Amino acid sequence: MTAYEVPRKFPTTVVGSYPKMPQASEAIRKRRAGEVDEAEFHRLVQPAIREVVEDYLWAGIDILSDGEQSREDMVVYFAERMSGYRVGEWVKIFDNVYFRRPIIAGKVGWLAPMTVDDWEYAVSVSGGRPVKAILTGPYTMVEWSFDLHYRDKREAVLDMARVLRREIEEYVSRGAQYIQVDEPALSTRPWREEAELVGEALEILFKGVQAKRIVHICFGRLERILPYILDYPVDQFDLEMKNSDFRLLPYLKEYGFNKELGFGVVDVHTLQVESVEEILDGIERLMKADIVGPEKVYLDPDCGLKRLPRDIAKAKLRNIVEAARIARERW
Amino acid sequence: MKPSRIWSMVLGGYPRSRRARHALRDYERGAIAYGEAEERVIEASLIVIGAQLASGNLYIVDGMVDWHDPFRPFVEAWRNAYPDGLLRYFDNNFFYRIPVFTDDPEPSKLVLAPRVLRFRELVEPAQLKVVVPGPVTFALMSRREADMSVEELAESIARILSMEVREAVKAGASLVQIDEPMLTDPEASRDQAVLAAELVSRIASEAGVRSALALYFDVPKPEVYEALLDSKVDILILDVADAPTRALELLRSKGFGGHTPGLGLINARQIYDDRYSLVVSTIKELIESIDSEELAVTTTTWLDLIPFRYSIRKTYLLGLYTERLAAELGLEHVTPLHPRD
Repeated sequence: MTAYEVPRKFPTTVVGSYPKMPQASEAIRKRRAGEVDEAEFHRLVQPAIREVVEDYLWAGIDILSDGEQSREDMVVYFAERMSGYRVGEWVKIFDNVYFRRPIIAGKVGWLAPMTVDDWEYAVSVSGGRPVKAILTGPYTMVEWSFDLHYRDKREAVLDMARVLRREIEEYVSRGAQYIQVDEPALSTRPWREEAELVGEALEILFKGVQAKRIVHICFGRLERILPYILDYPVDQFDLEMKNSDFRLLPYLKEYGFNKELGFGVVDVHTLQVESVEEILDGIERLMKADIVGPEKVYLDPDCGLKRLPRDIAKAKLRNIVEAARIARERW
Repeated sequence: MKPSRIWSMVLGGYPRSRRARHALRDYERGAIAYGEAEERVIEASLIVIGAQLASGNLYIVDGMVDWHDPFRPFVEAWRNAYPDGLLRYFDNNFFYRIPVFTDDPEPSKLVLAPRVLRFRELVEPAQLKVVVPGPVTFALMSRREADMSVEELAESIARILSMEVREAVKAGASLVQIDEPMLTDPEASRDQAVLAAELVSRIASEAGVRSALALYFDVPKPEVYEALLDSKVDILILDVADAPTRALELLRSKGFGGHTPGLGLINARQIYDDRYSLVVSTIKELIESIDSEELAVTTTTWLDLIPFRYSIRKTYLLGLYTERLAAELGLEHVTPLHPRD
């Protein structure tokens, strides 16, 4: 049970990833080189997680994350810790930068907690503030892997959901209050059948789960599939807004959005730090749109902060917190 | 008119071999000279050319293994344009550098012709194909920092690409393929398709050899497709395997407008072996819609989004399945593998 009281209006949070600390990069290198086992790896990452949490606390964020310091890539990390995957082969991601896209070569299965230890450590140093448990969603896991086993996306996604459900159960048993599933791949394929498949997977993931259930989706044509996702079994949609100049707002209004909204108010793709006034402008647009009240709005960046320099990430978070403070007085 | 001939080709670029990748990385770090990196790139190009030849493809690409993305070599060869930050390339987990135009672009050097001169003899007895990004896709996926509309930018790009393909053909290219994947985007409009058809026709006309329009990553909306059917190209290529239900529905209702159909049936974004039974059943479903004497089987898109060895495997499957299709459907297999006697 946390002693920290999350503000009733406009609580602030993060989407998950944070610039990689040198200790985490070194731990990842050592694990890749076979110099440390999994337990030692996570122990080596802890100083990095502590620094991330300290940054969050300095900024004043209400609901934290472990900064995903262990995760070199949001799909590869999980693929390396499940059964059914084999080591991927190199595919390009941009320019001459390649990564090992994992390959599903058998039925996927849960082996042991994959992310829970890092989360638990973050909780231990968070000063009582809640820490989100964050998982890459089953649809994104499958879309961004190669599949040599299922050759049927629906079957693969639903099986993947069962694996991740097991991880969520582990979180719940250890007291997680906020569980977020990231599905960035969904908005790149904005079709009804894809949206419905994600909905089925979320049913598996979240059925009966006693925690705040969150799905994060970003960058794409979300408005095309809004009618098919609003009934997802989640409490909160965490959405990128700033980068697309809040384009989604009229659609949320039109479709009667009434869940909690994780409202992205700073762009993670620009080094420019949004001013408090600029963030307040975004909040004002949401309030004027009259979609949900301030009790249902969680302020955060559009997406993970991992691509930003640390000082920029910190400054953006600090301004979110300050904007939230003013917003609570204003609305 | 039932088709009587069938042939195959890969749509576009290939991934880098490990040696090419490492050599380019070492070059970027300043550890080796460009000539050394270039040797590895040519080596990788020869491998993919060999794979296409062995597969019996009628037209061959050089693999474009040195291209970071489809726009980059052109942007770097033009004045008033530069590559900037990364943006997701359609629904792929791959990012291209957004072309930025600060003014009307002007070519400072040729991109395609030197490649054709380098590779034209190596592809014999097949023929060399060059591929250019379609002007509407290029313009829509760019950022304009000058006072010009998307349409004006697309016109400018088409003007330069027309010159590019003209010189490439002079150098020995036998087929010009123009890629307009943005026209399969759900947001694409009929007006954009009308413009694309006009500009693609202009480039194809300038080429003066066989030409193809390639549409992939999804299936165009019917009204967009209708407009694209007015493109004055010889071959119209569609990604059938990505969304087969929608593709078949579209093609059965709209046909191919008299173009030679290029059917993207070998999935270039997945690494599993495509099922031959699925390929043949799809073609049988479409055969009545084809009003051309010939039919081309292609990959769904470029092969550069999968690992190198799988790109070679897909190339092999393309040839193998085309040969089997020819036998099963009673079509002449047009391939440079068959001796001319």
